[in-house]
Amino acid sequence: MMQDPLQTSLRIAASGLQAQSTRLRIVSQNIANAQSTGSAPGADPYSRQTVSFESEMDRTLGANVVAVKSIGVDSSPFKLEHDPGNPAADEGGMVKMPNVDVLTELADMREANRSYEANLQVAKQSADMLNTTISLMKDA
Amino acid sequence: MQLSSVYLFEVGSQKAQWLSARQTAIAANVANANTPGYHAVDIQPFSAVLDSSPIELATTNPAHMSLPQSETGALREVETDPAEQTLSGNTVNLEQQMIDLGEVTRDYTMGSNIRRAFHQLLLSALK
Repeated sequence: MMQDPLQTSLRIAASGLQAQSTRLRIVSQNIANAQSTGSAPGADPYSRQTVSFESEMDRTLGANVVAVKSIGVDSSPFKLEHDPGNPAADEGGMVKMPNVDVLTELADMREANRSYEANLQVAKQSADMLNTTISLMKDA
Repeated sequence: MQLSSVYLFEVGSQKAQWLSARQTAIAANVANANTPGYHAVDIQPFSAVLDSSPIELATTNPAHMSLPQSETGALREVETDPAEQTLSGNTVNLEQQMIDLGEVTRDYTMGSNIRRAFHQLLLSALK
Protein backbone atom coordinates (compact mmCIF):
# COMPACT_ATOMS: atom_id res chain seq x y z
CA MET A 1 0.00 0.00 0.00
CA MET A 2 1.51 3.25 -1.10
CA GLN A 3 1.32 6.26 1.19
CA ASP A 4 -0.02 9.66 0.24
CA PRO A 5 2.78 11.24 -1.84
CA LEU A 6 2.42 14.59 -0.08
CA GLN A 7 2.83 12.99 3.33
CA THR A 8 5.80 11.11 1.91
CA SER A 9 7.44 14.32 0.71
CA LEU A 10 6.98 15.79 4.20
CA ARG A 11 8.82 12.80 5.67
CA ILE A 12 11.60 13.05 3.08
CA ALA A 13 12.06 16.75 3.84
CA ALA A 14 12.20 15.88 7.55
CA SER A 15 14.99 13.38 6.89
CA GLY A 16 16.87 16.11 5.02
CA LEU A 17 16.44 18.54 7.92
CA GLN A 18 17.75 15.94 10.32
CA ALA A 19 20.78 15.12 8.16
CA GLN A 20 21.70 18.78 7.70
CA SER A 21 21.35 19.55 11.40
CA THR A 22 23.68 16.65 12.21
CA ARG A 23 26.14 18.22 9.80
CA LEU A 24 25.77 21.59 11.56
CA ARG A 25 26.40 19.88 14.89
CA ILE A 26 29.67 18.41 13.62
CA VAL A 27 30.71 21.78 12.14
CA SER A 28 30.14 23.56 15.44
CA GLN A 29 32.02 20.81 17.25
CA ASN A 30 34.99 21.34 14.92
CA ILE A 31 34.96 25.13 15.32
CA ALA A 32 34.63 24.91 19.10
CA ASN A 33 37.63 22.59 19.25
CA ALA A 34 39.78 24.50 16.74
CA GLN A 35 42.30 25.23 19.50
CA SER A 36 41.96 22.11 21.65
CA THR A 37 45.39 20.63 22.17
CA GLY A 38 46.26 17.40 23.96
CA SER A 39 46.96 17.46 27.69
CA ALA A 40 50.22 15.45 27.90
CA PRO A 41 53.48 16.57 26.24
CA GLY A 42 53.47 15.56 22.56
CA ALA A 43 49.89 14.22 22.76
CA ASP A 44 47.58 14.34 19.76
CA PRO A 45 45.10 17.24 19.73
CA TYR A 46 41.43 17.17 18.65
CA SER A 47 40.94 15.60 15.22
CA ARG A 48 38.53 17.22 12.81
CA GLN A 49 35.34 15.18 12.32
CA THR A 50 33.60 14.69 8.99
CA VAL A 51 30.06 13.73 8.07
CA SER A 52 28.96 11.83 4.97
CA PHE A 53 25.44 11.24 3.72
CA GLU A 54 23.85 8.39 1.83
CA SER A 55 20.57 7.93 0.03
CA GLU A 56 18.56 5.25 1.76
CA MET A 57 15.43 3.45 0.58
CA ASP A 58 12.76 3.73 3.25
CA ARG A 59 10.59 0.64 2.76
CA THR A 60 7.55 1.92 4.65
CA LEU A 61 7.57 5.14 2.61
CA GLY A 62 8.67 3.62 -0.69
CA ALA A 63 10.97 6.59 -1.27
CA ASN A 64 14.60 7.59 -1.03
CA VAL A 65 15.29 9.45 2.19
CA VAL A 66 18.68 10.77 3.24
CA ALA A 67 20.59 9.42 6.20
CA VAL A 68 23.94 10.09 7.86
CA LYS A 69 26.21 7.34 6.57
CA SER A 70 29.12 7.84 8.90
CA ILE A 71 30.82 10.36 11.12
CA GLY A 72 34.48 9.97 10.31
CA VAL A 73 37.76 11.44 11.47
CA ASP A 74 39.87 13.63 9.19
CA SER A 75 43.30 11.98 8.97
CA SER A 76 45.17 14.97 7.56
CA PRO A 77 48.34 15.91 9.51
CA PHE A 78 48.22 18.24 12.53
CA LYS A 79 49.75 21.68 12.36
CA LEU A 80 52.83 22.24 14.50
CA GLU A 81 53.26 25.47 16.44
CA HIS A 82 56.16 26.63 18.55
CA ASP A 83 54.80 27.31 22.04
CA PRO A 84 57.15 26.06 24.78
CA GLY A 85 54.87 27.25 27.58
CA ASN A 86 52.02 24.98 26.54
CA PRO A 87 51.52 21.83 28.66
CA ALA A 88 51.21 19.84 25.43
CA ALA A 89 54.61 21.02 24.12
CA ASP A 90 57.22 18.31 23.41
CA GLU A 91 60.96 18.58 24.18
CA GLY A 92 61.51 20.90 21.22
CA GLY A 93 58.71 23.21 22.36
CA MET A 94 56.42 22.23 19.48
CA VAL A 95 52.68 21.80 20.06
CA LYS A 96 50.40 19.79 17.79
CA MET A 97 47.37 21.91 16.88
CA PRO A 98 44.07 20.46 15.55
CA ASN A 99 43.74 19.99 11.77
CA VAL A 100 40.69 22.26 11.75
CA ASP A 101 40.55 25.04 9.17
CA VAL A 102 37.93 27.51 10.41
CA LEU A 103 37.38 28.92 6.90
CA THR A 104 36.53 25.45 5.54
CA GLU A 105 34.18 24.89 8.45
CA LEU A 106 32.42 28.20 7.82
CA ALA A 107 31.96 27.33 4.13
CA ASP A 108 30.56 23.96 5.15
CA MET A 109 28.24 25.66 7.61
CA ARG A 110 26.89 27.97 4.91
CA GLU A 111 26.21 25.02 2.60
CA ALA A 112 24.46 23.07 5.37
CA ASN A 113 22.39 26.16 6.15
CA ARG A 114 21.39 26.55 2.51
CA SER A 115 20.37 22.90 2.22
CA TYR A 116 18.45 23.10 5.49
CA GLU A 117 16.46 26.07 4.20
CA ALA A 118 15.72 24.26 0.92
CA ASN A 119 14.33 21.27 2.83
CA LEU A 120 12.29 23.58 5.02
CA GLN A 121 10.84 25.19 1.90
CA VAL A 122 9.82 21.77 0.55
CA ALA A 123 8.11 20.93 3.85
CA LYS A 124 6.27 24.27 3.85
CA GLN A 125 5.05 23.86 0.27
CA SER A 126 3.90 20.27 0.89
CA ALA A 127 1.93 21.39 3.93
CA ASP A 128 0.44 24.22 1.86
CA MET A 129 -0.67 21.77 -0.81
CA LEU A 130 -2.32 19.52 1.77
CA ASN A 131 -4.12 22.52 3.24
CA THR A 132 -5.30 23.59 -0.21
CA THR A 133 -6.96 20.21 -0.65
CA ILE A 134 -8.52 20.31 2.81
CA SER A 135 -9.89 23.81 2.19
CA LEU A 136 -11.85 22.41 -0.80
CA MET A 137 -14.25 21.03 1.80
CA LYS A 138 -14.75 24.36 3.52
CA ASP A 139 -17.20 25.97 1.17
CA ALA A 140 -18.58 22.91 -0.58
CA MET B 1 -22.94 18.30 -20.14
CA GLN B 2 -22.83 15.93 -17.17
CA LEU B 3 -20.42 13.61 -18.90
CA SER B 4 -17.93 16.32 -19.83
CA SER B 5 -17.85 17.80 -16.31
CA VAL B 6 -17.35 14.36 -14.79
CA TYR B 7 -14.48 13.82 -17.19
CA LEU B 8 -12.95 17.10 -16.01
CA PHE B 9 -13.03 15.85 -12.43
CA GLU B 10 -11.20 12.75 -13.62
CA VAL B 11 -8.47 14.76 -15.36
CA GLY B 12 -8.26 17.06 -12.34
CA SER B 13 -7.60 14.21 -9.97
CA GLN B 14 -5.06 12.70 -12.35
CA LYS B 15 -3.24 16.00 -12.45
CA ALA B 16 -3.31 16.26 -8.64
CA GLN B 17 -1.89 12.74 -8.40
CA TRP B 18 0.84 13.58 -10.85
CA LEU B 19 1.71 16.82 -9.03
CA SER B 20 1.90 14.99 -5.68
CA ALA B 21 4.22 12.39 -7.19
CA ARG B 22 6.37 15.17 -8.62
CA GLN B 23 6.47 16.89 -5.24
CA THR B 24 7.79 13.64 -3.72
CA ALA B 25 10.51 13.42 -6.39
CA ILE B 26 11.54 17.03 -5.70
CA ALA B 27 11.57 16.39 -1.94
CA ALA B 28 13.87 13.40 -2.49
CA ASN B 29 16.18 15.50 -4.69
CA VAL B 30 16.40 18.34 -2.17
CA ALA B 31 16.95 15.99 0.75
CA ASN B 32 19.75 14.30 -1.18
CA ALA B 33 21.27 17.56 -2.45
CA ASN B 34 24.53 16.77 -0.61
CA THR B 35 24.56 12.98 -0.99
CA PRO B 36 27.57 11.72 -2.97
CA GLY B 37 26.67 9.86 -6.16
CA TYR B 38 22.96 10.72 -6.03
CA HIS B 39 21.27 11.35 -9.38
CA ALA B 40 18.36 13.78 -9.57
CA VAL B 41 15.02 12.30 -10.63
CA ASP B 42 11.78 13.69 -12.03
CA ILE B 43 8.40 12.26 -12.99
CA GLN B 44 7.49 11.66 -16.62
CA PRO B 45 5.66 14.65 -18.11
CA PHE B 46 1.91 14.83 -17.56
CA SER B 47 1.22 14.33 -21.27
CA ALA B 48 2.74 10.84 -20.93
CA VAL B 49 0.29 10.11 -18.12
CA LEU B 50 -2.63 11.25 -20.27
CA ASP B 51 -1.41 9.25 -23.28
CA SER B 52 -1.10 6.09 -21.25
CA SER B 53 -4.42 6.44 -19.44
CA PRO B 54 -6.14 3.17 -20.12
CA ILE B 55 -8.95 3.12 -22.65
CA GLU B 56 -11.53 0.68 -21.42
CA LEU B 57 -13.06 -1.83 -23.78
CA ALA B 58 -16.81 -1.60 -23.88
CA THR B 59 -18.49 -4.46 -22.04
CA THR B 60 -21.67 -5.03 -23.98
CA ASN B 61 -22.09 -8.61 -22.91
CA PRO B 62 -21.95 -10.06 -19.36
CA ALA B 63 -19.35 -12.52 -20.64
CA HIS B 64 -16.93 -9.70 -21.56
CA MET B 65 -14.06 -9.32 -19.19
CA SER B 66 -12.50 -5.99 -18.36
CA LEU B 67 -8.74 -5.67 -18.63
CA PRO B 68 -6.71 -5.24 -15.48
CA GLN B 69 -5.49 -1.66 -15.20
CA SER B 70 -2.30 -0.35 -13.78
CA GLU B 71 -3.32 3.03 -12.47
CA THR B 72 0.00 4.49 -11.39
CA GLY B 73 2.08 2.89 -14.12
CA ALA B 74 2.68 6.21 -15.85
CA LEU B 75 3.87 8.00 -12.70
CA ARG B 76 7.33 6.64 -13.32
CA GLU B 77 10.50 8.28 -12.11
CA VAL B 78 13.08 9.13 -14.72
CA GLU B 79 16.58 10.45 -14.22
CA THR B 80 16.98 14.04 -15.37
CA ASP B 81 19.75 15.14 -17.71
CA PRO B 82 22.75 15.94 -15.57
CA ALA B 83 23.30 19.59 -16.51
CA GLU B 84 26.06 19.77 -13.96
CA GLN B 85 27.73 17.28 -11.75
CA THR B 86 29.66 18.00 -8.61
CA LEU B 87 32.93 16.32 -7.79
CA SER B 88 31.10 13.82 -5.59
CA GLY B 89 28.89 12.68 -8.50
CA ASN B 90 25.74 14.50 -7.37
CA THR B 91 23.52 15.95 -10.10
CA VAL B 92 20.98 17.90 -8.00
CA ASN B 93 20.66 21.56 -8.97
CA LEU B 94 19.09 23.15 -5.90
CA GLU B 95 17.96 26.30 -7.73
CA GLN B 96 16.19 24.29 -10.43
CA GLN B 97 14.49 22.20 -7.72
CA MET B 98 13.21 25.36 -6.03
CA ILE B 99 11.80 26.60 -9.35
CA ASP B 100 10.09 23.24 -9.94
CA LEU B 101 8.74 23.35 -6.40
CA GLY B 102 7.10 26.71 -7.03
CA GLU B 103 5.68 25.42 -10.30
CA VAL B 104 4.14 22.37 -8.61
CA THR B 105 2.54 24.42 -5.83
CA ARG B 106 1.14 26.93 -8.32
CA ASP B 107 -0.34 24.22 -10.56
CA TYR B 108 -1.76 22.41 -7.56
CA THR B 109 -3.50 25.55 -6.29
CA MET B 110 -4.85 26.23 -9.76
CA GLY B 111 -6.12 22.67 -10.10
CA SER B 112 -7.88 22.74 -6.77
CA ASN B 113 -9.45 26.12 -7.57
CA ILE B 114 -10.76 24.77 -10.86
CA ARG B 115 -12.17 21.77 -9.04
CA ARG B 116 -13.85 24.06 -6.53
CA ALA B 117 -15.40 26.03 -9.39
CA PHE B 118 -16.85 22.81 -10.82
CA HIS B 119 -18.15 21.76 -7.43
CA GLN B 120 -19.93 25.09 -7.16
CA LEU B 121 -21.28 24.68 -10.66
CA LEU B 122 -22.78 21.30 -9.78
CA LEU B 123 -24.04 22.58 -6.44
CA SER B 124 -25.74 25.59 -8.00
CA ALA B 125 -27.59 23.18 -10.27
CA LEU B 126 -28.64 21.09 -7.26
CA LYS B 127 -29.72 23.85 -4.90
